[in-house]
Amino acid sequence: MKRIRPSRWSGQLLQARCGASIAAARQPFLLAARSQSTSSAAAHDSSSTSTTPIDSPPPPLPAPSFARAAQSAKLAALHARLSLSQKIPLQTLARALVTPSADANPNFNNTNLAYLGSTIVNYHVLEYLVCKWPRLPMAILYEALRAYAGDASLQQVARRWGVESAAAPGEEVDPGLLQWKAGEEQLVNTRWGYVRSDKAPAWRRGLSSRVVLDNDFGDQVSSLEAEKPEFDTLQSEAFGSVVQAVIGAIYTHCGREEVKAFVKSHILSRELDPSTLFEFKLPTRELAMLCAREGFKAPVARLESETGRLSRTPVYVVGIYSGKEKLGEGAGPSLDVARRQASMASLKAWYLYSPGNKVRVPSDMMEEGAKPWKAPYIDIGEII
Amino acid sequence: MDLRSLLRPASQLLTPLRCLSAPRAAVVSLPLTSSRGHKTTARTKRALKISPHDSFLPSRTAEFPAADSIIYNPPASEASPSHTPFIFLPRNDPRRLAITRLRSTANVDPTAYNSQTNGELPPEMRYKRRQPKYNLTKEHIEEMRRLRNEDPLTWSVQKLARKFECSTVFVQMAAPAPPEHLQWLKGKLERKMERWGPKKTAAREDRKRRAEMLYRGEL
Repeated sequence: MKRIRPSRWSGQLLQARCGASIAAARQPFLLAARSQSTSSAAAHDSSSTSTTPIDSPPPPLPAPSFARAAQSAKLAALHARLSLSQKIPLQTLARALVTPSADANPNFNNTNLAYLGSTIVNYHVLEYLVCKWPRLPMAILYEALRAYAGDASLQQVARRWGVESAAAPGEEVDPGLLQWKAGEEQLVNTRWGYVRSDKAPAWRRGLSSRVVLDNDFGDQVSSLEAEKPEFDTLQSEAFGSVVQAVIGAIYTHCGREEVKAFVKSHILSRELDPSTLFEFKLPTRELAMLCAREGFKAPVARLESETGRLSRTPVYVVGIYSGKEKLGEGAGPSLDVARRQASMASLKAWYLYSPGNKVRVPSDMMEEGAKPWKAPYIDIGEII
Repeated sequence: MDLRSLLRPASQLLTPLRCLSAPRAAVVSLPLTSSRGHKTTARTKRALKISPHDSFLPSRTAEFPAADSIIYNPPASEASPSHTPFIFLPRNDPRRLAITRLRSTANVDPTAYNSQTNGELPPEMRYKRRQPKYNLTKEHIEEMRRLRNEDPLTWSVQKLARKFECSTVFVQMAAPAPPEHLQWLKGKLERKMERWGPKKTAAREDRKRRAEMLYRGEL
């Protein structure tokens, strides 16, 4: 995980922390409430803003009021469907459905909950991946993390929860619908990570620098926001933020144990085959370098079986051996392809080593009466 | 069914004979056996009723109680990368300890390639691989560089590799050609590639794409 640097946080998080104050963007709501409550406040307002008559109808809110959350059948159904604890009020769930594209005010949208949730999700997924497949290369680890906790996957999760988006966000919409819109300029920054300095040349963006800089998935965060994101990206971001915000809400209201169980059952339970994520360049050479590094005998390809050598569709089965130990086997329509397949299978067998299906992760130690910690297997690193 | 399959080749043999016997006449070659489709459900079902292949059936070589057999059909699938080979297991992995114990106690190694033919491995494939010789000294390399600089056309990479008994990659690293020669070679290749027709260009692009797909595991 990365170091936390509060000095680099933008204003939104810090503003949300202080909590009690309500930003000026929501002024119409206050005006309406105030004009209904007391006459003195109304007189004060009329004295300050003498040009606008006080009894004119206030402009509509950008998103439904939380006061209507208790009446929404959709919200109650979502709450029940997710088997959320009674400690989580429907108003919080309603807030999780308001994205910053609908309501830019951080005191009324889900940005803060979503950021909290994303850190929790990424932490749990990453510790699981590192303990389950300790030899995964960094690039594959990032992609595996994205496959579990990326916006596209979280959008699928949200859709399976039954989250639907409103046609357009507004005050009159059911608060049980996702409030988001695309096309408008992004007023609020919802991307988190360490921004690289603009002066740095392009060649500096190696994999090891991605560990320190950039965001959790190793993607570059640009400070300029020059390119306009596509509709699909915005949509998956909006739906993904709902899942993250719900997880953040569970952490806020119920605590660590509950949120871990929730992440385990909703995100880590999804199946991922990491062997499909690999893309090799020179597999035979990489395997030879691996064997040289680990002190194994040099890999040798052996022809295990073949059929139809003189036909149009021959099949060769090639095994890669190091001494007498077999590393992997592959089949292909030519000797060369079969040998490369076999090398890739052997490399995958190395990278996808797993200590077992039930690995213990560091956060298991926070439970009551946990057994003493046994260090997980830690690999020395990638083959270079 | 069997009768028809016998009759059809026979009729195919006869047809050219009949054509020969009446070459001038407008012959409407009527087959001896009519190859007709199964026009009704009953006939289709009867035609499709084929007994399973022997490999799908349990072996009946022994008496019934002893006739337990494993059917390998469909055959063994591709080996999964989640089965870590023995030498890839870390030192303290319990699987490594278990296999070591098994190998030391059992006289036949159950994890070997083929436990019947103990110790015999399949034949090695012949392919180009790195065989370091370390036969060159500093003088050799200087000589190589001198030759390459003097006349890069006659002393090509291949020729130097043959002369000094080393790999072409080593020649390219140790004695690179002068830049103007490389430029000339590049221009020559470009002129050659310009002459390629659309088929050859497409074939080479496809080959590259196939290799990429192979490395992504999509083939």
